[in-house]
Amino acid sequence: MTEMTRRDVLKIAAAGAAAALPGLPHPAQAQTTQKRELVVAQGGDIAFLDPHLSTSSNDIRISFNIFDNLTSRRPDGKLAPGLATEWKLQGQTAWAFKLRSGVKWHNGDPFTSADVKFSIDRSLDTSLKGNRVNTVLATVDRVETPDPGTAVVHTKKPDPLLPARLGFYGGQMIPKKYVESVGPEGFNQKPVGTGPVRFVSWTKDDKLVLEANPDYWAGRVDFDRLIVRALPEMAPRVAALLKGEVDLITQVPPDQGERIKGNPGTVVSGALYGGLYVLAVNSKRPPLDNPLVKQALSLAIDREAIVKELWRGRGVVPNSMIAKGDNHFDASLPPLALNPAEAKARLKKAGYKGEEIIIETTAGYMAGDKPMAEAVQAMWRDVGVNAKVEVFEYSVRAQRIREKNFKGLWWSDPTSTLRDPDGMMWRLLGPGGSQDYWRHPEFDELGNAARFSVDEKFRGDAYKKMTQLFLEHFPWIPVIQPYEDYGLQKYVEWTPDPLQQLEIRRFNFKFRRA
Amino acid sequence: MRGLLPFLASRLLRAGIALWLVSTVVFVVMRLSGDPVPLLLPSDAPQSEFARVRAELGLDRPLPVQYAVFLGHVLHGDFGQSIHFRQAAFRVVVGYLPATFELGLAAFTLALLVALPIGIVSAVKRNSVIDQATMGLALVGQSAPTFFIGILLILIVSLNLGLLPTSGREGWQSLVLPALTLGAFAMASIARLTRSAVLEVLRADYIRTARAKGVTEALVVAKHTLKNAAVPIVTITGLQFGTLLGGAVVTETVFAWPGIGRLAIQSIYNRDYPVVQCTVFVSAVLFIVINFCVDLIYGLLDPRVRSS
Repeated sequence: MTEMTRRDVLKIAAAGAAAALPGLPHPAQAQTTQKRELVVAQGGDIAFLDPHLSTSSNDIRISFNIFDNLTSRRPDGKLAPGLATEWKLQGQTAWAFKLRSGVKWHNGDPFTSADVKFSIDRSLDTSLKGNRVNTVLATVDRVETPDPGTAVVHTKKPDPLLPARLGFYGGQMIPKKYVESVGPEGFNQKPVGTGPVRFVSWTKDDKLVLEANPDYWAGRVDFDRLIVRALPEMAPRVAALLKGEVDLITQVPPDQGERIKGNPGTVVSGALYGGLYVLAVNSKRPPLDNPLVKQALSLAIDREAIVKELWRGRGVVPNSMIAKGDNHFDASLPPLALNPAEAKARLKKAGYKGEEIIIETTAGYMAGDKPMAEAVQAMWRDVGVNAKVEVFEYSVRAQRIREKNFKGLWWSDPTSTLRDPDGMMWRLLGPGGSQDYWRHPEFDELGNAARFSVDEKFRGDAYKKMTQLFLEHFPWIPVIQPYEDYGLQKYVEWTPDPLQQLEIRRFNFKFRRA
Repeated sequence: MRGLLPFLASRLLRAGIALWLVSTVVFVVMRLSGDPVPLLLPSDAPQSEFARVRAELGLDRPLPVQYAVFLGHVLHGDFGQSIHFRQAAFRVVVGYLPATFELGLAAFTLALLVALPIGIVSAVKRNSVIDQATMGLALVGQSAPTFFIGILLILIVSLNLGLLPTSGREGWQSLVLPALTLGAFAMASIARLTRSAVLEVLRADYIRTARAKGVTEALVVAKHTLKNAAVPIVTITGLQFGTLLGGAVVTETVFAWPGIGRLAIQSIYNRDYPVVQCTVFVSAVLFIVINFCVDLIYGLLDPRVRSS
């Protein structure tokens, strides 16, 4: 590399700073703590605390702790009981939820099925100004409340994923009485939930202060106060961790991870992203309409090298269009193979004549997008593909998505808040989806059947067959499933969540005490 | 003061034109840079939802109509509703101003307190070790990018020496590093300009006359030199105060300082048109007011400016 990047400059600056002052102890070295206060720094500001007004990860890290859902998605990917202790399907389209008894809102009011109905209705309400989640529960027809401890959710069609939907944004439970008395503005400024922490104060763009809910139904959290700060620049965020000013930071890129690991008092902890980084393909555009060409493109990518060199090992090689950790992921499939000789053979068989194949990439919208595009370009050129990288703006990308006119391939980071192929893959690749560039009758039939079936065995078989078709036609070329890393003080015992939640409930967060 | 009224009138007219141009440019550039709606909705939202939100924000109307509505509202001091905060953009921006003023004033005071003595001493002790060292440092201060100085200070002062907080806004301690970072450029340019202004005056005939009369060197500098060197120093100082507003964008982001510079950056990322427009407008007003004040002070210091 001849060009000096900003990152290099920072490294040199860091090295210089360290060299200039030898022998000074690193500040954060403690392996245990007596702290009663947890300080978290994330990369962006909190905009809304009303859970129906936002899907931003900076907001949901907090709102999932002020509020509870009926079901709770754990960092291990499993769906656990939340405010509902159990749920079961009645017939094909009714899900009955038995509610946890004795739960109180932060203001002392009791939690009942009336709150459940109110929350779901409000989540679906398009007349709520600024509602950003009204499509999440779109399969819901109505909610019935036969008694205060039971809520029955009726769906328009069979919906196997309803309990999962209720476990993520759009599904947070909010207090009917309080919201109606203070109005939307008052609720957003001073939220009341049932969650493990309750609201204390909020200075926009500076910090949010929350305190432990002493009566939390799943046990009081292991600290008295939670302080959330926004530190937008990465280097100062890392410095704040190394100095011990904060206990936990989000969004640590692979190269900064080394600094955090090199410091005696801090560690890096990551969760596999709940989705994949793929090169989506405009399969309508020759020669990308030829499955042999797409197979060759996949075979020519050295994914191991991308993981190792560009991600410093912080990622895994995918084996299909289903992310590791999602429902129906098939662990028996081998990782996507590298075989340049076979790639050349398939290109020849396809009658490829050196037509230009364009990768359109943003620079920095997705982590590593441009360097990865350049690496892939070089790998494709090695097997004789006339590959070209074109950098475009985020806004152009958004426009291409709307108009469905990508020139060839582009980066996409499909994910599902339901941890299911239906939300992750079928939502985008299905007919009418935003990445609908390739159709196959059998693939379509299977995808639709799986969407509306409440039989998980049937769904599993459908996704197995769809995987085979996928690996022949490659409507996406999956490249990597990266880790999303966090920096922690060593005295913090915490497991990160693949869907960017900040799970600080007792089962997942502990300060290591002396 | 004769001619003050026409002077004020022409200044106001120019300020009005400048503000109109600034707001128009921002309006056009922001609209060219992309659509805020995909950032507000879940990635799986259907097209109808995009249309609904676009209509909710008034983005479905043709650009000239949006522009006319925008200008009409601006004339009434209304910059519209923030897309991100969902409250009046002007209220949002005003809420962030105190932090920026605090930082700007601290940076400016620090710059003056350090730069003026250094500049004068360097000029009087020309080519001495002090002169060369401080002017070398000033060159670094002027050429190093703000984010670099900021991060370097965080790493050395805060992390390695453990002296001051890395970021945030809590107590005077957290003000020191950002003020130093923001003031570095102004400090360096004021020091260099003070030095050359003082040098220039020291060469003048009346200084030689004063020395010939036997006036002590200290009095020569304090009484005869500084007064005459003040005009260019005031000019550059005023202009530097304006550029502090620009530097605040980087400094506030590096140090997580909740002022309008950081607000501007966040709002650009969020494609929050109303807030970006309002931030730029308010900054432009501040810049114009500062320049206006500098012009007035200039007139007071140098009668020749008034008559021309």
